[in-house]
Amino acid sequence: MHELHSSDLLEITLRTLSVCLTALLIALAIGVPIGIALGRRQFPGRRALLGVINSGMGAPPIVVGLIVAQMFFRNGLLGRLELWYSVEAMVTAQVLIALPLIVALVIAAVSALDVDWELQVRTLGISARWRTWLLLREIRLGLLAAVIAALGGILSEVGAVMQTGGNLEGETRVLTTAILMYTNMGLFESAYALAAILVGLMLTLAGLLTWVQYGARS
Amino acid sequence: MSRHRILALLLALTSSLNAAGAARAEESRTLLLATTTSVQDTGLLESLLPTFTEATGIEVQVVAVGTGAALRMGAEGNADALLTHAPDSEKALLQSGAVDRRVEIMQNYFVLAGAASDPVGVRAAGSAIEGIKKIQAAKAPFVSRADDSGTHKREVELFREAGLDPDERWPAYTRTGAGMGLSLQVAGQKQAYILSDIGSFLAFKKETGLEAMTGQDPSLRNVYSVLRVSPAKHPRVHAAEADEFIAYLERPDTQMRIGQFGLQRFGQRLFDPLGGSGE
Amino acid sequence: MTAALRVENLQVIRQSRAGRFTLSVRDLALRPGEVLAVLGPNGSGKSTLLRVLAGLESPAAGRVERQATGPVTMVFQRPIAFAGTVDHNVRIALRSIGLAPSEIRRRVDDSLGHFGIAALAERRADRLSGGELRRLVLARAFALEPAVLLLDEPFDDLDHEAQELLSRDLRQAVAQTRVAVAVVTHDLRRAVGVCDRIAVLCNGALQQVDSRRTVLERPCSPTVARLVGMTNLVAATLGAHDTAIVDPEHQLPTAGAGPPGAEVWIGIRPEHLKVDVGRGEGESIGKAVVDSIASDSVLTTLSLRWAGTLLRTHLVAGRGLAREIAVGDAVSLSVRREDVHVLPRGQDAARADR
Repeated sequence: MHELHSSDLLEITLRTLSVCLTALLIALAIGVPIGIALGRRQFPGRRALLGVINSGMGAPPIVVGLIVAQMFFRNGLLGRLELWYSVEAMVTAQVLIALPLIVALVIAAVSALDVDWELQVRTLGISARWRTWLLLREIRLGLLAAVIAALGGILSEVGAVMQTGGNLEGETRVLTTAILMYTNMGLFESAYALAAILVGLMLTLAGLLTWVQYGARS
Repeated sequence: MSRHRILALLLALTSSLNAAGAARAEESRTLLLATTTSVQDTGLLESLLPTFTEATGIEVQVVAVGTGAALRMGAEGNADALLTHAPDSEKALLQSGAVDRRVEIMQNYFVLAGAASDPVGVRAAGSAIEGIKKIQAAKAPFVSRADDSGTHKREVELFREAGLDPDERWPAYTRTGAGMGLSLQVAGQKQAYILSDIGSFLAFKKETGLEAMTGQDPSLRNVYSVLRVSPAKHPRVHAAEADEFIAYLERPDTQMRIGQFGLQRFGQRLFDPLGGSGE
Repeated sequence: MTAALRVENLQVIRQSRAGRFTLSVRDLALRPGEVLAVLGPNGSGKSTLLRVLAGLESPAAGRVERQATGPVTMVFQRPIAFAGTVDHNVRIALRSIGLAPSEIRRRVDDSLGHFGIAALAERRADRLSGGELRRLVLARAFALEPAVLLLDEPFDDLDHEAQELLSRDLRQAVAQTRVAVAVVTHDLRRAVGVCDRIAVLCNGALQQVDSRRTVLERPCSPTVARLVGMTNLVAATLGAHDTAIVDPEHQLPTAGAGPPGAEVWIGIRPEHLKVDVGRGEGESIGKAVVDSIASDSVLTTLSLRWAGTLLRTHLVAGRGLAREIAVGDAVSLSVRREDVHVLPRGQDAARADR
């Protein structure tokens, strides 16, 4: 019962991928537009807002996990949703942890563009939809950096995922929480097996993204 | 003060601290004690160890991990002494020669806890084993740590004694593979039944809203023992320090303190002293 | 000829920490196939004017009237290219306006060809030299077949030869496409190389708009004169018989400038002031002493002390007189009557567009 079966391993790995990629995509869908909007415009209080975002990057994930877990508890703000100890709660925590990082990196990428970039594009008669696509193309190296950084953080998150998911077998167990569990049980062989898969996943995904990034240069 | 002088001061400070630390390491004796998280979470060790160190000059380094990991540390000689509560596994360790002394120090009773409404009638069942039968029969929500901890091992025994298969799963049966605190919280959210040690149950009672379904049921008896890792098998362990620690725990005044522990924080005593019976 | 773009009674007001800046342009027109250079010192409002013409800023008062069909396109001072190849840069602007592929192909080929960078089509934009990049952004703008093209310092950072070549290609493209062009620059030589007319802007006000030749040779005020390189400005009083009297010993010939006694400025372009030449090259105005000599390997500039003031003239470096002359030498000066420009003294008149 306690030894790791290959079926468990597959299930845990697939769930890990599902949770992490979902969180990444949601964080990108929210963070990239925000980063672009903030990066382009000057407005009063911009510096203060950037300070908040930077602090967000430094926010300890375990604190995020604590707050999100409490939110989803029965008596919490979102208790009605009945999502305590669920993958949804885990994804929520992951998104909140990754978001400041993505926003900050996108802002940096957008700020690196020429001050007149937007005006030049407008005076070439390029429509708004095309402008957005062009902008994304211009910042794609910075975007890829944000994706790689966010993915790395999401895949390796333990504490927040433990707090929001509870490592429930068959429900919310992922690679990192499983490794923690097997280590606590003293079953190091199983822990190493899972660790190897996690590292393999990270290397594969990072390698894939780096290859895309390299291709994007030419 | 000039920058250089501040720097010189800092350097002097750090090196003197290092020197003191090194000196302390050389002079003092240490004991590496592996115990379980539930023991550490009660706070008992924090209250007992300072007087031990004062009396003997031995610094105790407490490592709190899962029961399985603690026992493994003992088996591999990575600790000097163990304080655990899994009698069968401990006896097996004794048999294997990895530990050469086992002394029962204190006991309490596990708690079979559940939602205040007790939908399945575990309270009325009268005993833990009957309660487990009712839970299984109704396929009621149940949370298990499923991590080979002392608590989990007892849970497995209860199932066996009830004539049930401990590996049986049903939809509302949740396995956390996590610590007692988190598992209690999961049980609280799911309003499920759960087997817990008394200390953790009391600590999380308010948060979970769960209530005790059992009392001093003999099948829930939970014995805590201290074990000495064998110097014969692992020559580098601090065997003398382990002996002193065991002697300290067996002392009547320590035993009395153990018996009084818990009143302040939990409103009730957590342990019955056992007077140190064992080998 | 109808204007492609016309500005009337324009007022643009800028508030900044440094204070309030107002740009006023009463009347300015850009004509198809013509290049107008907007010349002025830094801070005169040239870039602001360009942005208003481009529709990027709204004026506080006045109108910008577009009379031609076709887009108004602008190219900025720092060339902004998109990530990708040269071909992509031109193509992307065209794709976004929904042209047929064959039309896109044609325009890309044409515009790259106009600016001589067809061979660089597959080169990545971030690998282009400064000159190639400037050609790219121009080609990209031309590919849109604009009615009006606004260029902000298009020759910035180019060496002399590159600038000349680009000017030539630009003029050819303008002639072929009949686009109305305004070029903003602070550099006189660059303006002169490329334009048909010059608009002189100073302190937010349009001082003079005329053909190139007229502005250079007949600036309307001492301010404009200095901006267009007529650096020899001497205070004088008009005398009888078409002369201007600087002091009892020094006079200059004029061509019927006005009544005797009028106080004037006399302006002479350095290149019109002749040193030590024989007859037929103008009228003698006396002797001057060489005060200093400066050479930049293309021109030698002489500063000459005459009538208590310093006059400047240019000689071709390293040739003829330039080689023999030394500081302290006395030389004879002469100037043609028609090259002596007379301006009233006591006001700075701005002239409207003709």
